[in-house]
Amino acid sequence: MADDASSSSGCAGNLVDNSINQDELIMKQQREIEKEISETIPLVGELEPLASLEKEYNEDPVYLLKVKDLSSKYKNIRRTRPDGNCFFRAFSYAYLEHLLKDKTEYEKFYEIAKNSKEILVALGFSQFTVEDFYETFMEVVQRVGEHAGGSPDRLDEIRAELHEKFNRQGHSDYIVVYLRLVTSGQLQTQQDFYQNFIEGSRTVTEFCRQEVEPMYKESDHIHIIALSNALNVGVRVKYMDRGVGSQVIAHDFPEGAQPLVHLLYRPGHYDILYA
Amino acid sequence: MAEMGEKYNTKCPGVKRLMREAMELAEATEEYCARPLEDNLFEWHFTVQGPKGTDFEGGVYHGRILLPKEYPMHPPHIILLTPNGRFEVNKKICLSISGHHPETWQPSWSIRTALLALIAFMPTPAEGTIGSLDYTPAERKILAKKSASWVCPQCGDISNLLSSTAAKPPTEEEQSVLNQIAFKAEEEQAPKPPPLEEPAQEVEPQILESTESSTSFLDQLTEILVALLVGAIAIFVYRRWSTWYAIAEAEM
Repeated sequence: MADDASSSSGCAGNLVDNSINQDELIMKQQREIEKEISETIPLVGELEPLASLEKEYNEDPVYLLKVKDLSSKYKNIRRTRPDGNCFFRAFSYAYLEHLLKDKTEYEKFYEIAKNSKEILVALGFSQFTVEDFYETFMEVVQRVGEHAGGSPDRLDEIRAELHEKFNRQGHSDYIVVYLRLVTSGQLQTQQDFYQNFIEGSRTVTEFCRQEVEPMYKESDHIHIIALSNALNVGVRVKYMDRGVGSQVIAHDFPEGAQPLVHLLYRPGHYDILYA
Repeated sequence: MAEMGEKYNTKCPGVKRLMREAMELAEATEEYCARPLEDNLFEWHFTVQGPKGTDFEGGVYHGRILLPKEYPMHPPHIILLTPNGRFEVNKKICLSISGHHPETWQPSWSIRTALLALIAFMPTPAEGTIGSLDYTPAERKILAKKSASWVCPQCGDISNLLSSTAAKPPTEEEQSVLNQIAFKAEEEQAPKPPPLEEPAQEVEPQILESTESSTSFLDQLTEILVALLVGAIAIFVYRRWSTWYAIAEAEM
């Protein structure tokens, strides 16, 4: 991508400011790619058998071995749109789905979610914009709460509703924004601890401003650690890459917690896994 | 706002958000005021006061805010209408965090953040960025004086739009954001707004920015092709002509 952009501006020869133009070309191309992705891949997809991964790696023995290892523990996968928000989207979808079956966990979560807004306002985030995201987020959470632990037929209905909400750009993105704010809030309130995870000379606040709060910014370990700590939710991430061995390595966040959300990580992207 | 509610789907988070912002900004302040057009929630007009102690002191500047349909996921666009000597008029400018990817807009920012940032950014040096003007302090002061008599075709006399109530001071978070924000013109020229009478315009000739740096790759390719074609024709004509000349000479 970057190569294309630099070769095209290389043709120009007469450009005064090469760097700006290259940036713009890269951004333009990126927007085109984003547009194509958004037209072809839903925000959150349907449940698929894990075997659909095998097809993807038909001619790739390294990955095939790992898919095999993965299928010994997981039966299904649900893909998310690779738009940089996939961790937040996958996490919230999988967790809310879990809450439908777990009323006790729901009640614990509801308290944490309810108090999260005050933490953000105390940090100096603008009250009315935080409230705006919080309200949409809580609407979805409460809808789940009304049916948590209910009868299986009702659950199917509410699952469909959740799926529909998560695929409506406006609502879906509001949930992502709110979780990004919660993540930023956690990083900022525990600055001293998280500063150690940040490479380079950026402060925690700068890092939040540049890598956590803006939409479409990809999530790293630090985002997952912060969010799982803030909401006190166990997340297991299975890392599938070209590393040696046939095993897919798992990481639990926070360490030692009982994982309620299972995610599959492939370089640059998160999908949801189901046992 | 009631009629807006009928026209737009208030279930849509973007619409709900803008109606909330309209309420939040309903009261004009000394520093800024903004409100949606009667018939379009996604276009606002704003007025800001020139920051005190700068060349813009005493100036009142009016402009448009265009909100993308993805707002607040994507940033608002600002277009200044009153000549001011700092930003070109009738050109879309957008805010970004200086020195970083220009698309670091955050959904928790708002129209108020954008206006506060615009005011804070006015006295910063133009430094040749696209959409910026580097007028002398004297020229800016003249424009500041003239700005009070500028009239918006939709909002009328703009000098009456601001009130004498001081705005809420920026929160700590807002302040840290304001310190980092920069404005720059967008790649493409904003579509020309409806013809406006701009009494102050004759004072200053508009400096037209060259759009060279935003020429797309395709345009460059076309240019090269055209150049090649012209060259080929020239060679062809030259050869024809020299043959003809040779024949003519031989005949003589």
